[in-house]
Amino acid sequence: MASNIKYPENDAMYFIEGDALALITKVDSSGNGRTTARKQFKAISEAVTDGILIHYYAEPNSVTAITDSLDIDNALELSVVDYVKKCLYMDKAGKTADPNVMQASMAMATKHERNFKEAIQRYGVRKKDKTGGSRAVKVPNLV
Amino acid sequence: MAVHSISVKELISRVRLVFPDAPEAYIINLINDALVEIGMFKTKVVHAKISTTANKMYYNLADGAQDSSNNKLEANHILRVYLMDNEGDYIQIPRLLDKNLLLADATSEDNVNAPD
Repeated sequence: MASNIKYPENDAMYFIEGDALALITKVDSSGNGRTTARKQFKAISEAVTDGILIHYYAEPNSVTAITDSLDIDNALELSVVDYVKKCLYMDKAGKTADPNVMQASMAMATKHERNFKEAIQRYGVRKKDKTGGSRAVKVPNLV
Repeated sequence: MAVHSISVKELISRVRLVFPDAPEAYIINLINDALVEIGMFKTKVVHAKISTTANKMYYNLADGAQDSSNNKLEANHILRVYLMDNEGDYIQIPRLLDKNLLLADATSEDNVNAPD
């Protein structure tokens, strides 16, 4: 079922408030503009199945079994190995009574943490960026 | 050439070269911790559809929020929002910068946290 809003780009807006997406329109359920100028923008007046389409950055799926695959680009998979090893080396450093083992474990934990951060924070987006080709600018027609 | 990727099983075997006694369940927990941290960066772009409700202003985007097919959104950062028009096409709508609306739609704000 389509909505009654003819020009959503002119009659509707959204904003984000914490964990909520707020949707406001200045038309009534028939698609006519609201007559009260002061209270022009209100919540959408109609129920529309699949009325909103959002594009967003999402979290990767979690894994539950050893047969699962990681829900990330394969360029980032080795960083997960670094993260796991970092945690295990830190655990080892915390459990041992031998200061030499503790020192060596902390050094390895730091190394793997640095690898993880470099892979994800510094190069993560660049490693999997698929942007390419010639560029063009398309100016929207708002008439 | 086929794309190489590693499964959880292969990842565990790599870790167990150094930590042979590491429990499988613990490693899987650590993998999920890593995925949560990786998810904070721009790694996965998805789109989802949400049904509108008459006179409802706020739509939930929290971790447990679901789209109209009851799939979890797991949204971290909204890129674009489209609204269906009278011909069934999705048209991109602008984001309002000044949120100081005169009219607060109190009766439909069920997705805004209330004190408990």
